[in-house]
Amino acid sequence: MVENLTVVRGSKKVIEDVALTIRKGEFVGLVGPNGSGKSTLLLAILGFLNAANGKIEIYGEPSTSNRHLGKIGWVSQAAASLPPNIRITVEELVRLGTLTRKNMFLRKGRNQDRIAKAIEMVGLEEVLHTDVARLSGGQRQRAVIGRVLASEADFILLDEPLVGIDRESRNSLLKLLDELCHSEGKTILMISHDMAAIRQTAHRMIYLEETIKFDGPSEEFPDLEGLANLRGIEHVHSDHVHVHEKEEE
Amino acid sequence: MMGIGSYVLEVFSPVLEFIEPVIPGDIFPYFFTLEMFQRALIAAIVVTIVAGILGTFLLVRNLALMGDGLAHVSFGGVAVGVVLGAAGPLWYALLFSVISALLIHEMQTREVLTGDASIGIFLTGMLALGLVVLRIWGGGITTDIEGYLFGNLLLIDPASFDLILSISIASTIGLVLLHHTLLATTIDPLAARVQGLPVRGIGLLFSVITAAVVVSMVQVVGTLLVTALLVTPAATAQLVGRSFRSCMVWTQVFGLSSVLLGLYLSAELETGSGSMIALVAAMIFASVAIVQALYKTFISPSENLA
Repeated sequence: MVENLTVVRGSKKVIEDVALTIRKGEFVGLVGPNGSGKSTLLLAILGFLNAANGKIEIYGEPSTSNRHLGKIGWVSQAAASLPPNIRITVEELVRLGTLTRKNMFLRKGRNQDRIAKAIEMVGLEEVLHTDVARLSGGQRQRAVIGRVLASEADFILLDEPLVGIDRESRNSLLKLLDELCHSEGKTILMISHDMAAIRQTAHRMIYLEETIKFDGPSEEFPDLEGLANLRGIEHVHSDHVHVHEKEEE
Repeated sequence: MMGIGSYVLEVFSPVLEFIEPVIPGDIFPYFFTLEMFQRALIAAIVVTIVAGILGTFLLVRNLALMGDGLAHVSFGGVAVGVVLGAAGPLWYALLFSVISALLIHEMQTREVLTGDASIGIFLTGMLALGLVVLRIWGGGITTDIEGYLFGNLLLIDPASFDLILSISIASTIGLVLLHHTLLATTIDPLAARVQGLPVRGIGLLFSVITAAVVVSMVQVVGTLLVTALLVTPAATAQLVGRSFRSCMVWTQVFGLSSVLLGLYLSAELETGSGSMIALVAAMIFASVAIVQALYKTFISPSENLA
């Protein structure tokens, strides 16, 4: 739950007066142009950025309490987050998800069930022992999601997971996320530029540009013209607006 | 009080003496029989093993030059120690190295300067400090000092042998116990933090371990050549390994071959041990890289994808 949240970074107000509540089992898509404060909102939810105003509660606790750590999972953009100088197999990567503050000295064999189940869920059994660097973009992103699934996180935050992934993998990835909500009861908050994809999959969409300009069921998400109105983009030429929107996707 | 060094020597010296008859060369076998040389050999092997484990992480963290930087800082420490007439200048090196590592870590995380630049400043600053104090208050670059620059196994007296072993054992325990956590915080610090792992604390601990391990290597390969054992074997392993675990194993294979072959050649050809070890390590890297490039080009072009 986020209430009247304002976050200031440097001297700039990045997001202002944001309020939202996410219920368990929801699949929420967070969209907005570059620099609209999407990542800032996520970092604030995680408690890594301090709010200038307002409050954030996760599972009924203030987000800065650290109590929620471990219950939340973070999925970064695989294309950007894996260091190039590393050889690591899918299984080794997924195993890292089982680490917790209380369990930093992992031993082999422990949590093996959870690791196997996570790998099965993301459908990477066949490449279990393959170096992650040798996988396709889509598989790599699945591996990163598998890492979160091996943890005990119920609330999963994804930052642009669809970047650098071909169409087919994108669709199966979205299907996977949908299943996680429905069958595993996970709550998902996903940032993406790909509005069309999110609209197809998420239950609910939030359009953020400094503050929340739309929050509602995906079916009701405005079309391009409605969005332009929402954003206060003037109709110089309708073509112009079109081009602008395409760039963002 | 019996130090850890004499205990280790007591256990391993019979083993070394036992295999001495099959050791080739005219001078190299002395490493297996004379106590002073046994100490040097054990120190070299132990230091290589720890450097290999640490090096893999340094490489993944993109901190390959961290070792080099801290080694130069250690030289500054040694110089100050020598000038002050310390019995064990390595302790000064340890102090300098640990403090610098912590400062570099903080400068990087606070984004005061990017990684390379802060390392560069400490590297040159501390090396310069060492050279200046030696020129003014010490005897300049003596043979002993040269030993710290290029490595001199005979500098390893029982006291520094104790220090080297203590650092090595403590670091190995730390790295092995925390290796998953280290990996997690390295690969994706944000995800690790969300998981609840103490990313900052782990980073600081890693810096301290790096600083200590570098100091333990100074007498074996010298401050100028530390990178040879810290990074080269790990980098060679990245060429052939297919998983993190296999990279760890390959690192040890390449590291230990470099050290044993380097010591053998330096003994027989009467060169400095540190420089020969570094040269062998680089040549192993070059051979593996060339063989792999040829293999990829002529035998299995499709493998190029990775």
